[in-house]
Amino acid sequence: MTAMAAPRAAATVGTARRRSRPGRRFVLNAVVIFIMFLWLIPTFGMLFNSFRSPADVASTGWWTSIVPPWRFNLDNYVHVLNTNGMGTAFVNSLFITIPSTIIPIAVAAFAAYAFSWMQFPGRDVLFVVVVALLVIPLQTTFVPLLKLLGPQGIHLIGPGVGSFVAVWLAHTGYGLPFAIYLLRNYMGGLPREVFESAAIDGAGQATSFFRLAIPMSVPALAALAIFQFLFVWNDLLVALIYIGAANAPNLPLTVTVANLSNSLGGEWQYLMAAAFLTMLLPVVVFFSLQRYFVRGITGGAVKG
Amino acid sequence: MSFSLGFRRAAVLLASAAIMVGACGGGASPSASTGGGGGSPGASPAGSGGQVGGSVTVIGTWGGSEQDSFLAMVKPFEDSTGIKVQYTGTRDLNAVLTTGVQSGILPDLAGLPGPGQMSEWAKAGALKPLDDVLDVATYKSETAPALVDLGTVDGIFIKAAVKGLIWFDPKVYTAGPATTWDDLESKGAAAATAAGGNTKPWCLALESGAASGWPGTDWIEDLVLRQAGPDVYDKWVAGTQTWTSPEIKTAFETFGKVVSESYGGPKAINSTNFGDGGNQLFKTPPGCIFHHQASFITDFFKKQGGAKDGDFDFFPFPDINSQYAGAVEGAGDLFGMFNDTPQARALIKYLVTADAQKIWVGRGGALSANKNANNYPDDVSKRSAAILTSAKIFRFDASDLMPTAMNDAFWKAIVSYVQDSSKLDSILTNLDTVQKSAYGG
Repeated sequence: MTAMAAPRAAATVGTARRRSRPGRRFVLNAVVIFIMFLWLIPTFGMLFNSFRSPADVASTGWWTSIVPPWRFNLDNYVHVLNTNGMGTAFVNSLFITIPSTIIPIAVAAFAAYAFSWMQFPGRDVLFVVVVALLVIPLQTTFVPLLKLLGPQGIHLIGPGVGSFVAVWLAHTGYGLPFAIYLLRNYMGGLPREVFESAAIDGAGQATSFFRLAIPMSVPALAALAIFQFLFVWNDLLVALIYIGAANAPNLPLTVTVANLSNSLGGEWQYLMAAAFLTMLLPVVVFFSLQRYFVRGITGGAVKG
Repeated sequence: MSFSLGFRRAAVLLASAAIMVGACGGGASPSASTGGGGGSPGASPAGSGGQVGGSVTVIGTWGGSEQDSFLAMVKPFEDSTGIKVQYTGTRDLNAVLTTGVQSGILPDLAGLPGPGQMSEWAKAGALKPLDDVLDVATYKSETAPALVDLGTVDGIFIKAAVKGLIWFDPKVYTAGPATTWDDLESKGAAAATAAGGNTKPWCLALESGAASGWPGTDWIEDLVLRQAGPDVYDKWVAGTQTWTSPEIKTAFETFGKVVSESYGGPKAINSTNFGDGGNQLFKTPPGCIFHHQASFITDFFKKQGGAKDGDFDFFPFPDINSQYAGAVEGAGDLFGMFNDTPQARALIKYLVTADAQKIWVGRGGALSANKNANNYPDDVSKRSAAILTSAKIFRFDASDLMPTAMNDAFWKAIVSYVQDSSKLDSILTNLDTVQKSAYGG
């Protein structure tokens, strides 16, 4: 998203200084476009290869396919779309991703507000602890969490239960440290005067939170929503460990897609087509949240 | 006023969150009725044709067409018993099962790619013994003897592969099977010269992600087995034969000769994916004459090398020391049972039968562990299967039997040896150090 936001910022800068440095805007845009192009080269390669036969991919580079004679075909996409269980897996992915995005952001917003604008003993120590949790690799949590959530504990995982709630809880836990950190930094940067004048007018903490902090933090919330959505949508390991062993019909798209190739790594040609299909929804989510960045920048909330 | 408005909104938020959680809890319960059926205590072990119902969860590494073949194999079982087979395929099998053994969340059955890891779980008590599930005498009589020797208690073999086949293009190489190592070398060199250009006797490709180097371990294993014999091989697997010993070092040196006679040089060898390794066989002029790989490689020849049936053929790895003639190396997929349910027992019983395995065999891409499943769709797989069942000396893939740390170090050693063969002594000394700690636990 920085790549998308950057041209706008560049444009604003360029407009302000156009008269003094006429070539600046052009150079800036050219550099940004060039960097974006470099960044996208592997994606182009994947796109072209997804339309080629495996024998072609193995024998020549993807760039050779751009010039005629074209030998593109849709076989890979047809295979992926006709694979059994793709539809169910897509629904499962949504069913995992949406709550796993909403819950941590909701919790993190409350926590970030408390860390920024409420006074209580041990506030800074608690915040440091939360941030310190960022460095814990989630793989180390699997066994203790599975014991807690599994049949030996509160039994949210295992044969007979869907395991979805366990996955939401797990993703909430894994997402919270970063979410709280990001939101606290943003909320802490909001102007103190706004909250003070609201308090003088008789607003309590709840009003301050819902009517001031949340509306003013929309850009940060939107950014966080994209991060968390992508993290959960692309997640293979957590879903596999928490759902995999006992609830095969509930597995998300990532697991189904990874399993399009066989145990020796063959049949990889379908993965590129599948990658493009699974990319669609995150792209839609990104563009639908995109406008909130712009509104956040130009909203003028800071002026009060 | 404004406070109550904000509060009301908060209440609505909380309420909707509660509804969502409630709804999802409900959404999860339908699967409870299907998944939970596994526990019905009265159900007797399934006789053939008896409707048992319920479900059995299975995890394995098979994906793509392998997954399709496995599901096709269990379809008649589902139809006749009413048991639903819920299969999860993932190449992260070890992660799922290792955490599962710790936390108790395990599938009923698991298809495991080798007996090394399986014996560890059996020792930990996670795998249930199968000797009272199966008719062991029938299993022994129907299964390739080489595989039976590897044990019947913890897991049973479903699928097998023969390693160390020498592949060639019959249009390019016409000199017939090599009978000794010297014969192989001279025939390969002669054919390479005859093909002209830059043709080399061998093709070799080692890249395989984190497992890069494994095709080279197969080379070393084939050489050790035929140069030094099965006893040294067994000691080597068990960790009592040092890597610096002359037997293992000789195998590395022979392999080094092959590397120096391979197409593309060390960099290309280490960076070419093993699946593309044989593609040079089918080029004009060919890049190489021979390619050493297991029986499954035909699938890659056809799908990535652009070869058709008839474009490739093989002969078995020649004997080196006549004392150990007829030695063969192979591998196989095992099935183990984690949860002892009537459904899991029924499926295990079904999977070992020739009728079940014929389904996969007929679809191609696999050798059956069951001698009676012999409906191979093409001549090449029929002959590979014959090698497996008629082997005089059979050994399982050594690196798959070694502890994980040893196996990883073996892979890496192959890659560094191909990169710089002059460092052989330090590479082997390092492997000895790993050997001391890897077998310690």
